[in-house]
Amino acid sequence: MKLEGTNTLAAPVETVWKTINDPEALRRCTPGLKELKEVAPDTYEATLVIGVAAVKGSYTGKLAITDKRAPTHYIISLEGSGGPGFMKGQGSVDLEPQGEGTLLRWTGDIQIGGLIAGVGQRMLGGVGKMLIGQFFKCLEQTLGGGGQGPGGNR
Amino acid sequence: MKPAPFEYVAPRSVEETVRLLGEHGADAKILAGGQSLVPLMNMRLARPSVIVDINRLPALDYITPGPGVLRVGALCRQRTAETSPVVAAQCPLLRDALRLMGHEQIRNRGTIGGSIAHADPSAELTAVLAALGGDVSVQGPGGTRVIAASDLFVTYLTTSLEAHELLTEVRFPALPPGAGWSWMEIARRHGDFALVGVGVVLAPRGGVISEARIALTGVGPAPVRAAEAERLLAGRAPSEGLWDEAGTVVRASLEPEGDIHASPEYRKHVAGVLTSRALREALTRVGETH
Amino acid sequence: MSGHRKVLSPMSTRYMGARIPRNEDPRLLQGRGLFVDDVRLPGMLHAALLRSPHAHARIRRIDVSRARAAPGVAAVYTHADLGPLGGPLPKLIPHPALVHHKTQYALAPDTVRYAGEPVAFVVAESRYAAEDVLDLITVDYDPLPVAATLEEATAAGAPLVHDDIGTNVAAHYTQRVGNVEQAFGAAPHRFRERLVIDRGASCPMETRGVVASWDPRTDRLEVWDSTQAPIPIRNGLAAMFGLLQQNVRVVAPDVGGGFGPKIMMFYPEEILVPLAAMRLGRPVKWIEDRRENFVATNQEREQIHDAEIAVDADGRILGVRTVFLYDAGAYIPYGLIVPIVAGTTLPGPYRIPHYHCEFAAVFTNKTTVSPYRGAGRPHGVFVMERLLDRVARELGLERTEVRRRNLIQPDEFPYDVGLVYQDNAPLRYDSGNYPACLDRALELIRYAEWPARQRAFRSQGRYLGLGVACYVEGTGIGPYEGCRITVEPSGKVCVATGVGTQGQGHMTSFAQIVADALGVTPRDVSVHTGDTGLFSWGTGTFASRAAVVAGNAVALAAQAVREKARVVAARLLEAPTAEIELSEGRVFVRGVPARSLSLGDVALAANPLRFAMPPEWDGPGLEAIRYFTPAQGTFSNGVHACVVEVDPDTGMLTVHQYLVVHDCGRVINPLILDGQIHGGVAQGLGGVFWEKLAYDAQAQPLSTTFMDYLVPTAAEVPSFEIEHVETPSPLNPLGVKGAGEAGVIPVAAAVAQAIEDALAPFGVRITEMPLSPNRLRQLLAEVRRTP
Repeated sequence: MKLEGTNTLAAPVETVWKTINDPEALRRCTPGLKELKEVAPDTYEATLVIGVAAVKGSYTGKLAITDKRAPTHYIISLEGSGGPGFMKGQGSVDLEPQGEGTLLRWTGDIQIGGLIAGVGQRMLGGVGKMLIGQFFKCLEQTLGGGGQGPGGNR
Repeated sequence: MKPAPFEYVAPRSVEETVRLLGEHGADAKILAGGQSLVPLMNMRLARPSVIVDINRLPALDYITPGPGVLRVGALCRQRTAETSPVVAAQCPLLRDALRLMGHEQIRNRGTIGGSIAHADPSAELTAVLAALGGDVSVQGPGGTRVIAASDLFVTYLTTSLEAHELLTEVRFPALPPGAGWSWMEIARRHGDFALVGVGVVLAPRGGVISEARIALTGVGPAPVRAAEAERLLAGRAPSEGLWDEAGTVVRASLEPEGDIHASPEYRKHVAGVLTSRALREALTRVGETH
Repeated sequence: MSGHRKVLSPMSTRYMGARIPRNEDPRLLQGRGLFVDDVRLPGMLHAALLRSPHAHARIRRIDVSRARAAPGVAAVYTHADLGPLGGPLPKLIPHPALVHHKTQYALAPDTVRYAGEPVAFVVAESRYAAEDVLDLITVDYDPLPVAATLEEATAAGAPLVHDDIGTNVAAHYTQRVGNVEQAFGAAPHRFRERLVIDRGASCPMETRGVVASWDPRTDRLEVWDSTQAPIPIRNGLAAMFGLLQQNVRVVAPDVGGGFGPKIMMFYPEEILVPLAAMRLGRPVKWIEDRRENFVATNQEREQIHDAEIAVDADGRILGVRTVFLYDAGAYIPYGLIVPIVAGTTLPGPYRIPHYHCEFAAVFTNKTTVSPYRGAGRPHGVFVMERLLDRVARELGLERTEVRRRNLIQPDEFPYDVGLVYQDNAPLRYDSGNYPACLDRALELIRYAEWPARQRAFRSQGRYLGLGVACYVEGTGIGPYEGCRITVEPSGKVCVATGVGTQGQGHMTSFAQIVADALGVTPRDVSVHTGDTGLFSWGTGTFASRAAVVAGNAVALAAQAVREKARVVAARLLEAPTAEIELSEGRVFVRGVPARSLSLGDVALAANPLRFAMPPEWDGPGLEAIRYFTPAQGTFSNGVHACVVEVDPDTGMLTVHQYLVVHDCGRVINPLILDGQIHGGVAQGLGGVFWEKLAYDAQAQPLSTTFMDYLVPTAAEVPSFEIEHVETPSPLNPLGVKGAGEAGVIPVAAAVAQAIEDALAPFGVRITEMPLSPNRLRQLLAEVRRTP
């Protein structure tokens, strides 16, 4: 499942960069994140409970930030496994100044395997997109909101 | 395919139910007809630690016609509503939608309140409630509150009910006098979740449409009210061209997701087709209700 | 059923051909069937499997310590615990062209190659507890690149499903008739198509299941298995566990649908469950749940054909060529049966002087493929019929006329196609009347009136289309089946045969054969199948063969028992053997019904307690064992015709009419035969418009529930019309041919033609199956022209 989108944030690039590298902000904004433990610089052990309403699965895994080109680009990857199978996602984040604020472009490629993929396909795309939307909305709120560009299947 | 361990309680009153929900919060799940919940539990997609079985609350099983509104208890079985003469008289749109909802065996167990509270993005009842502009009563520890359909459906499987609240009643406004209606949907097989469904109410006055109501299911995270098309139709004289125009407006307003059965393009296209067809059918029924 | 039938044996045919209700139905309809899940033994444990969520991954580490310590757990096995059973599972059907005969392991040792491959096996006090424990096993996977599709798997540099063989091609095989290059070179017209058929699942009502019980005092292993092949399973278990075959009993009790995937052996669970029962000293049960069935039971159908036909100006076939890819899935235990059947079914009822059929069997990271009802036949027919439709369109010929011009004529039998069939015997059609079937089908569907009817519908804005397709079905292959018939002193007749029953009505059709021979009613005949304790020789129920191979063994054994009864009765009634007759449960002297004995009394007398036995009795009792060993298969045929409607605005399909004219030689029971055809057509229609196993780009299965894998219901399929033409087979005493797969074979071909006919104003071309409303809308959008 490939997704992409843009968000406009009401903060300069440097501030946005700091926020998206801040474990506390990641902890607060990643939907369903229960635990985030830094095990090495930019590498975290994560526990997530992901899903919607009562349909949730618990995953443990790793969150890592790589390919850093401060203050405009990184790759964030997340992988986890649990009772419902596994999830694996990778996304790129690019920042560019836009007036006083920042334009954030993101792309994501998510793989879901096991139970959820086999029985939940009807809502998987929509829910995945919704959760990513929640992440960026939270960032917007953290940084002082701007407009949100549409995300979409590519 | 066996559920994870859970505790089971069967309260005998609404008050007891609300108290139990307050105690267990998000760990509890209400069991009504069980037609969505039990498969979810068997597949371990849902692992509630407490099941609150409300099937021993007969007080929630009723259909009461009222002036201009049909009050349906949350525990009323879908099949009961489908075959009720009161529903047929006051709200034939609800009856017609129920007929396409799963299979008869499912409707024998499934409840009106359960379907609304489960808020499946392809459900018929959520769209019917949205089209009619109905509302629901919910009871929590602090008392009862009313939530309008427009505020109820948040996103996939999510309503604005709090974890400790119990949905007790669903109110479907009766069709305006003389109004026509239509429920249409495309499902892969009879009884499957709709790829797209549309409910339409058409109220005429003096040769023009005084009010049109259109809501769709299967084309978003929650039922979609086609407000723009409704505005387009109001005050216009019915015509084939108008139906096509409304279909085009609906099509353009949607951003559905795709799945293995239907792409976003398919859903958009068919939403337009069904809207036009449903309006055409609704017009043929104008004058049937009173 | 009426009409004259040639009597092939001196038996009366009172029940053969009769439309009588099934012996097994009262028991099944009253819920008194015995399916594997109904087997409940004292102290029984329950098993569940941990399956790979990855389509391709290396297993780095499995941690079962928490699982083993959990309450209610009797055992947790991984590959490391399998001991001598840790090797690859048996290779079923070898073939010289199958150079990489890869089979899976009971539990994956180090690599998983499809989502659903078993990784760990848990035995606990209940299935609930066993499933709880699955959550406590941690597997550390290292995901590997995935070959998800045939195209990906055959591309240069493709991820390798089995890295030790350096290729994803398990086999490459070619069969030829005549000189295709020359025929194509000289042909005035050549047409080429790429035809694609996607994956489907057989979805038996009863999923797989195994119960095993071990008695250490007698060294006896008893296994109940929802299988189509109890005897080969018994033989394999005895070999693997070092037991006497005599001490292993495998029972396939009532089986709720087989459809081919249950002929596969061994599935991992068929080894793991007996292993656990023997190690733990307690009975163990495993029942496959529906979600497992969608990943762990073999699937079928996926092939891509690049096919070409050469014809003369009149549409006469000069040559056909197909080069195709066959998706084997992750392993290929069942060998090349499906692609060989596809290639050898393709010629069908048509004269094809030059034919080239070539395929590559390809590994992908998906569930293993083995035969599912049709087993390649629907593919072959789809390709051939699509090519003929193309010829008709391109040359402006009437579509049924193109077929008629190429049909093999009734006086051409036996007709040698020139190929080698799946049983390694020459593909030689024994009998048939193909033009008669086509004529009758066209008459029943009112073909002559169709253009006018279609115009009338179109004038109402409705798009209806008609389709007609022909096929030949190879059935009744060897090597053998056998039967033992015993008359009991009560006069009841017991029949035991090795072929199992999965709904084919053997308890009735075999009883009819016996009833005619012994002069009793089918209700007096008790047929026992699928229990190695009752009959221990046989291969299984597959490839539309039971009625032919076991049915004729039954007929031979019944004839032998009849002769024995006459010999015994001759002595008792003091009359010449030649004058003894059997009828109405009695044995009597011809013309003197008063001089008679009941059949039971004859059976009793044939088993004396004292005194010498007449030498001509050749042993005690009224009992005989006989085998039928056909040298080659027998070939059924038929024509399907249908009328469908497409809504171009929604892509929805309605099947208004579906009829089948069918010839499987002599009919034993038309009621049962109709049922076989009904089920087959329904499954065929499923594969046309509803049933598709969806996988994502990482080979994750996306349709593992009946919410997403859409088996058509009574609301989607019409009432079928069926008519039987009877051209007896000269190859067996009963004159019968198989019918198990007939219903499914030409459905895709017939409906594809009907949809093209319906959408002719738009010019839509159908080159793939299955379709869907979404896909039809896409095809319409691609060719959008104003009608």
